[in-house]
Amino acid sequence: MAERVLMRNFDRADSHTLAVYRQHGGYAAWEKARTLEPAALVEEVKQSNLRGLGGAGFPTGAKWSFIPKNHTGPVYLVVNADEGEPGTFKDRYLLEKDPHALIEGMLIAARAIRSALGFVYIRGEYVQPWRRFSGAVTEAYDAGLLGQGFDVVVHRGAGAYICGEETGLISSLEGKKGWPKVKPPFPAIKGAFGQPTIVNNVETLACVPPIIGRGAAWFAGLGTKTQGGTRMYSVSGRVRKPGVYEAPVSVTLRQLIELAGGVSHTGRLKAVVPGGGSAAILTADEIDVVMDVDGLRNAGSMIGSAGVVVLDESASIPEALMVLARFYAHESCGQCTPCRESTGWIYKMVHRIVDGHGRKDDLDTILDLARRGAGTTICAFYDGAVGPYISYIQKFRSEFEALCRA
Amino acid sequence: MTASALQFSAEQLAEVRRLQERYPDRRGALLPVLHMAQETFGHVSLEVEAYVAGLFGLSPAHVHEVVTFYTLFFQQPRGRHVVAVCHNLSCHLAGAPDILAHVKARLGIEPGDTTEDGRITFQAVECLCACEAAPMAQVDDRYELNLTPEKVDRILEGLR
Amino acid sequence: MPSVKLTIDGKEIEVEAGTNLIEAARRLGIEVPHYCYHPGLSIAGQCRLCMVDIEKAPRPTIACNTPAADGMVVHTQTDRVKETRRSVMEFHLINHPLDCPVCDQAGECWLQIYYMKHGLYEPRMADEKVHKPKAVPLGPHVILDAERCILCSRCVRFCDEITATGELGIFNRGDHSEIGLFPGRDLENNYSGNVVDICPVGALTDRDFRFQVRVWYLDTTKSICPGCARGCNIDVHVNRKRPHHAGGRRVARLKPRFNDAVNAWWMCDVGRYGFRRVDDADRVTVPQRRNGAERLDAGWDEAVAAVAEALGRHAPDEIAILASPDQSNEDLFALRRLCEARGIRQVAFRVPPAIASADDDFLLRADRHPNTRGAELVGLDGDAAGILAAARAGRVKLLWVFEHDLLSSGLPEARPALERVETLVWSGANANATSALAHHVLPLAAWVERDGTFTNFLGRVQRFRAAVEPLGEARAGWDVVGRVLAALGTPGTGSRAEHWFRALATSVPAFAGLTYQAIGDGGAMVAGAPPTTAPTPPGRRAPATVTA
Repeated sequence: MAERVLMRNFDRADSHTLAVYRQHGGYAAWEKARTLEPAALVEEVKQSNLRGLGGAGFPTGAKWSFIPKNHTGPVYLVVNADEGEPGTFKDRYLLEKDPHALIEGMLIAARAIRSALGFVYIRGEYVQPWRRFSGAVTEAYDAGLLGQGFDVVVHRGAGAYICGEETGLISSLEGKKGWPKVKPPFPAIKGAFGQPTIVNNVETLACVPPIIGRGAAWFAGLGTKTQGGTRMYSVSGRVRKPGVYEAPVSVTLRQLIELAGGVSHTGRLKAVVPGGGSAAILTADEIDVVMDVDGLRNAGSMIGSAGVVVLDESASIPEALMVLARFYAHESCGQCTPCRESTGWIYKMVHRIVDGHGRKDDLDTILDLARRGAGTTICAFYDGAVGPYISYIQKFRSEFEALCRA
Repeated sequence: MTASALQFSAEQLAEVRRLQERYPDRRGALLPVLHMAQETFGHVSLEVEAYVAGLFGLSPAHVHEVVTFYTLFFQQPRGRHVVAVCHNLSCHLAGAPDILAHVKARLGIEPGDTTEDGRITFQAVECLCACEAAPMAQVDDRYELNLTPEKVDRILEGLR
Repeated sequence: MPSVKLTIDGKEIEVEAGTNLIEAARRLGIEVPHYCYHPGLSIAGQCRLCMVDIEKAPRPTIACNTPAADGMVVHTQTDRVKETRRSVMEFHLINHPLDCPVCDQAGECWLQIYYMKHGLYEPRMADEKVHKPKAVPLGPHVILDAERCILCSRCVRFCDEITATGELGIFNRGDHSEIGLFPGRDLENNYSGNVVDICPVGALTDRDFRFQVRVWYLDTTKSICPGCARGCNIDVHVNRKRPHHAGGRRVARLKPRFNDAVNAWWMCDVGRYGFRRVDDADRVTVPQRRNGAERLDAGWDEAVAAVAEALGRHAPDEIAILASPDQSNEDLFALRRLCEARGIRQVAFRVPPAIASADDDFLLRADRHPNTRGAELVGLDGDAAGILAAARAGRVKLLWVFEHDLLSSGLPEARPALERVETLVWSGANANATSALAHHVLPLAAWVERDGTFTNFLGRVQRFRAAVEPLGEARAGWDVVGRVLAALGTPGTGSRAEHWFRALATSVPAFAGLTYQAIGDGGAMVAGAPPTTAPTPPGRRAPATVTA
């Protein structure tokens, strides 16, 4: 069994407290980081091959290095704790069970990007995690870890999946609707409140103390050639032991399903959503894929937030698509035309199909709309919707056609 | 601002100012202050929106934009308790439709509505990210996990 | 400003660094279709229609948010761009109601126009469209149909960035997003009509113009708004082809015309909706003379002869003229000629209103006359109150009033003055209480019925043009005064406004060197007046908070 890095503290009583965190090596990496130059910290994270664990999989060290060197004004570190991708729950665990790991990661990241002010944007529904995390922040202030050159503002969201998109989050942080921003400019150049901003996922930052404490080479070595480390896979759906499982990113999907106790209900696997609701679905014979960023990209899907949802033979794919189509229609922010108009219409069509009133042309209309809209929008939300729209229909077309009258 | 029951206390106004100062642009404090307003006044009515707009130097239309965009702000009076059942993917696979039907039968209302006695507002919501314990719901501030019809009955029973 | 060289559709062009690709293409005569982009507003990037192919970019990119860069190679007509435009058109029309038969925008609707150019696909949306409020008044001038709205956000940005009033917002999200006002409030700023101009579709339409006449029956003429001393550039839209529509009105509406030096893209509501007078029932259309209590129609020859006779009979110091700052430079110069010819010294043009107006915070000037500066420069300034006092005292025996209604002005005791003068001549377009007392009424053509120039308060001389024929027998002021001069034995200056302007330019130093051609469509400054730029809109002056 691989070493637990991210979940190392989870089983300890009062793991969320400063005392317990410190007892087991907490904040030692921060002490080390304070002796290193920002550029050295950035380089270390680059060498670790850490890639963003919120969904986009962008190399973290590279992202940090986009902050303009000659900028004299403020730089903001924003933590994306707006976990909302269907099938994902790992950040909730981190916020509740190891909030100081996030704080330590923030301290190191802030030093690397020369930020004096960080914002933690926690989705509004996460009340318990918010209280836990706020408690940890208070402890950190009391202990003089925060407030000595780096301050943290904890900010609650108010219910909008699109606030998990980094510029949608920034808009929401600025007190507006969570409308993603037209890019360029990118956040590292002009982000929150008009200043250079780095937005990182909770889990990504939780990787930073181990990287600094134990070295980039070690972290890189845990993973694959193009992505270092371990990550927390959220496994749910028709498995016997749904839960969060940490594994090196070299783990295969088949291995993960086994870790989670194997397929439940009929016991026979039909399909798997490998990377959160927005990932293209994989069939039962596609599960030997390596669960890192490039592995899934090459398999025509994505690792995204590593939310693994297992469907057994008795699960209805058209129903699953309807549930997700309803989700995208509900969560579309409405800013740009292709997404706003087609997510609603596609949901109507899929709903009609599931209700038994599908028409012959519906499936090809949905596929055509999705292909036409992909890549035309302000943000990747629509591309996330396109993943299921196209893959569910393409890979399980006969199940849909059975519901469409001639 | 005409005098009305809908105003923050002096302490709360000090808190509003403190929140506003924490953000590089005070508008960043709008969501926290709207949360505060909802807790204080029960829901975010148009009057509350106009009041909060005044605290930020914003047009009421722009506050209304924010309130209508996010799902956690109630624009109408809500029940004393909110029961929000997730109907997204993993919960659907774990039987959310049955849980929703059960709640509907017990309370006699559709998702989106409030019981006549003002006790419970019932909602069907998107992924709450507790899929490992599906089907589940958010009841007020807490997550209720691994729901069964029996568990639902016990929970509803306990909501006064 | 540094410049960059780029290539669009194979044509090279040099533009200022920072110019976006829509503007760069426009300069080459290449149209990049778009909705949400507007050169006077911030970039939204929402409609996704302005996609173009840029070499080295993997996907089409929106042109509005892409600044031209040195060496950039842009293609606006690739198959991929065409297909993207067709897709975006379909997305826009998914929930759009088939309102064309009842929608005022038909004929100038950018969904129609771009569908015909870039769409032309077989529609396949056979599900229930999203329904939203229709025919919702947003204040006195604008009406909203939320179903037609394509959510380009131009109107929201206008109310934030131009008027700083922030009345409009986009509420909810997804395909239930909706333009609207804060419930209970109105669209009450003095520039509300501009949102109708910038709305690409029939979501925001003009209440005044609603259902009046189809736009394809309208003719357009470039002109200048006569509502105040700013002189916003406008287009006058007239309905000649369907006289039974629009309640028989000839002028259907006014639209602002872009002028960087005066009003940018905008005009205020006071000016925009102030044109109805030209078609009102109180228009004076034939010369009239008073015979006791009777009013009799007269011919021009008779009327001119009568006025010339009176002018000749009275001594110059018994004659006074109250010109109007609503008159053109040409009209006023003709009056100056008359005064010189007869030695008339008692001339004035400033008649204060009963209730003083104020500047607004953007374009509208307190001075609600278009040509005060012109009247000053032509040399007709004087003491109107003194003239009326002299009339009351019996020293002024012949008073010729242009346009004014002295009885509802801020000048005291006008009635005894008007009743005392022996001969009261009144010339104007719309009858009023003063014209009712006049012995001779000479009908003047309204501003939409003649050519001329106004000089705005900053010294900009701008041309306005005849959009329709004068009503009845109405004539331009310079024409009437020219005929009177001829009857008095002074040779005529000309039969066209331009002739009078030429004479003006030779005689009045401020106008030296100016010609109609030099003035063109954009105007020109009088001598000594520095060039102007349109004022900064209120929304761009203060820090970016919008007040209730």
